[in-house]
Amino acid sequence: MTATQVEDGAALEVRVPLPRKRIRHEHRRRRWLLVIVAAIVASVVTAVSGAGDVMRVDGFGSFLEFFQAALHPRADAGFLGLTATSAITTLAYAVLGTLVSLVIGLVGGVLTSQTWWLARPQGRRAGRVGWFVTRAVLVVPRAIHEVIWGLVLLAVFGLDPMVAVLAIGIPFGAVTAKVFSELIDEAPHGPYTALLAAGSGRLPALVYGIFPGALSDLLSYAFYRFECAIRSAAILGLVGAGGLGFQLALSFQTLQYNEIWTLLYALVVLSIAADQWSSFVRTRRTTRVLGGSAVVAAVLAAFSWWWVGFDPSVLWQGNTWTLAGRVLADAVPPTFGGQSPLDLLGLAGITVSMSVIAITVAFFGGALLAFPSARLPWLGLRRRSGGLLWTIRSGLCKLILVLLRAIPPPVWALLFLFVFYPGVLPGALALGVYTAGVLGRLMAEAAENLDGRPLRALRAHGTAEPLVFCYAVLPAVTPKFVAYGLYRWEVAIRETVVVGVVGAGGLGLLLNQQLASFDYAASLTTVAALILLTLVVDLGSAALRRALR
Amino acid sequence: MRKALVRLVALVAALLLTVSACGTSPADPRSGHDGGGAVLSISAIPDQDPQLLQRLYGTVSDYLTKKLGVTVQYVPVTDYTASVTAFKRGDLQMVFFGGLTGVQARAQVPGSVLIAQRDIDAHFRSVFIANADSDLKPVTDVAGLAELAGHSFTFGSESSTSGRLMPQYFLMKAGVTMDKLSGKPGYSGSHDATTKLVAAGTYQSGALNASVWDARVKAGKIDLSKVKLIYRTPEFHDYHWLARPDLDQRFGAGFTKKVTDAVLGISAADPQGKQILDLFTAKAFVPTEAANYGQIEEVARASGLLR
Repeated sequence: MTATQVEDGAALEVRVPLPRKRIRHEHRRRRWLLVIVAAIVASVVTAVSGAGDVMRVDGFGSFLEFFQAALHPRADAGFLGLTATSAITTLAYAVLGTLVSLVIGLVGGVLTSQTWWLARPQGRRAGRVGWFVTRAVLVVPRAIHEVIWGLVLLAVFGLDPMVAVLAIGIPFGAVTAKVFSELIDEAPHGPYTALLAAGSGRLPALVYGIFPGALSDLLSYAFYRFECAIRSAAILGLVGAGGLGFQLALSFQTLQYNEIWTLLYALVVLSIAADQWSSFVRTRRTTRVLGGSAVVAAVLAAFSWWWVGFDPSVLWQGNTWTLAGRVLADAVPPTFGGQSPLDLLGLAGITVSMSVIAITVAFFGGALLAFPSARLPWLGLRRRSGGLLWTIRSGLCKLILVLLRAIPPPVWALLFLFVFYPGVLPGALALGVYTAGVLGRLMAEAAENLDGRPLRALRAHGTAEPLVFCYAVLPAVTPKFVAYGLYRWEVAIRETVVVGVVGAGGLGLLLNQQLASFDYAASLTTVAALILLTLVVDLGSAALRRALR
Repeated sequence: MRKALVRLVALVAALLLTVSACGTSPADPRSGHDGGGAVLSISAIPDQDPQLLQRLYGTVSDYLTKKLGVTVQYVPVTDYTASVTAFKRGDLQMVFFGGLTGVQARAQVPGSVLIAQRDIDAHFRSVFIANADSDLKPVTDVAGLAELAGHSFTFGSESSTSGRLMPQYFLMKAGVTMDKLSGKPGYSGSHDATTKLVAAGTYQSGALNASVWDARVKAGKIDLSKVKLIYRTPEFHDYHWLARPDLDQRFGAGFTKKVTDAVLGISAADPQGKQILDLFTAKAFVPTEAANYGQIEEVARASGLLR
């Protein structure tokens, strides 16, 4: 911006004062920014205070050793065969888990949308209550990590494929429901209102008035969920069915780095395949592509069903529900298990500070890698002149992102523990780099989906590329980036459960110890604390998003 | 649009029908269940190089199937808590538990039967190790561990007997309660991770399974200029095969004894037996009794791992 422009702006402000509402909004925005900065500073202070030293240079050797092994993955025929079958198992669980989560997500998404509850002018208050209750109910499955779900479901269903399918399907379904409800609420409402006014029922009005407009975003999200499910299936090693997660856990136990890398490469291949399929469907949304994809998905689902021996009858068979009742009875009434409520609050504080640092790292790391990896057609020139170079750079950034999120958080945690002293920081960094991989993908997609017209117009006027980037691209993507960041912040809280290895304490470590001593009553209290924390984060980020809008 | 939907539903239905007719699923954790007849489900979470046994378990189930006359199915499980839960539910009927998890499983399923232990399980030890740059020196008795006060320390997995429970017991015997350590004790997750973290200096000291330490030293996997052995604990009992109390009801009278005999009869003279013993890093399976785990039970109770 030139000096004259600044003066122009100032002059303009003097002449036409901003409406009071705008000013208040601006103030609120500044207050929130201040809150964010304060939260980050407080978290970093918590993380580094107490223990004297934070980092150790001599641990770098052990850190690098892991990445050196990337060049020498174990590649004998026997192990490759094992990896291949494990990858298929992981894929099968991911497919079934995603299907369950999509069903839950569609039903739950409609039932938690304001569009559904506040459709009719009469009974608005009741609608508001209904909306709030369903929304609060969906926080519960979301706040509990897949691994914890796995253990609970194992007690109910035993060694059954249902365990892994639901351990992925239930929490992912709840997240999907949240996102779907937001997509439904944000879709254009014209046709919907018109149908309602014409006397149509709520459901048909929704199906014909809202879904067509939101389909693209719904699809995009469903694919993203599928990729997450692949990674999640690779963490769930406990179901006794093999899969990459089981093999990773085994190789990780004895730190067989070369085996870990072979398995990680398999995971990367699965992730990239899901990604490619997703972008193919999104960029070429013809009936043929959509129909073809639906058929492929159906075949994949049937194959997965057979591969893992899925049998839904366990849901209503014999003693399943008696056992579910018994699991609950074991945990009721919840106890504090030797912790005082104040201890719990302190541990919750550690969990929050770990998640805040993690999401800060992830936000900036993800954004830095997202831009060079995204295909940005509106920057025009790039593609014509530096075609090959651009392809290499973009591919490299994409590969880094995929690797960041393929390496499971517990592995990252151990690696950072080589370089840092035990505490909040290594855990936060582990979650941070992992989440950066996830966020970077979401951000790149958001950047690719930007409306290119105004940007191309600017370019056509001869505006330099960096200027277009700073004044047109950044402002346009920032709200989306913030929304994704806030959403992953909530996930990061849940993920702190799996990085207990860093010795930072927090609710995650406590929960692990309570489960190891089969103290279900105390575990329930800790889980309740995690749920409460998730609810607070959910409400907080909703307020933040409103303020920044 | 509607026509396409109908077609899709028809396709899925057809596929599911074909698929359900296809017989056993390759990755079904309950495979064998539909085969008719009783199936004995077993599992193990070994301490040392678990990936060997967990990936080559066919040998074990084949051997026992032959000896017992019922289908034996090995279910690979990596998580201690998960294996105890599955044992409690009856999905696993016989499990090779660690000392602590065995005691926990017996508390959850009263009347469970001790089948056998390995020869080495009667003489299990833990080792305490320290970073070479620390001021910790080798000590000769339990009381000497008092020097660990004021140092950072890591256990292995939370549910490990030799990596957590017994080390905690010996520390307490030396007067080093958890609050006397510098910072909270870590839980590295595994014996190998403990060694690596102490060698890297993240923690000044740690404790792990002695046989894992010995095997790694022998294989030259440990840089002894970075990490040193400071104490080898007295012996205690660890791993053992535990069976549910209802085996006789499920498989016929005398089945528990038959299983016990089959396990104890695994011999290195027989090539298949040799293979199994190698997977379990043992020379033989020997009888065991509840009294062997009294100490573990006591320590588990004292440290809240058993209620």
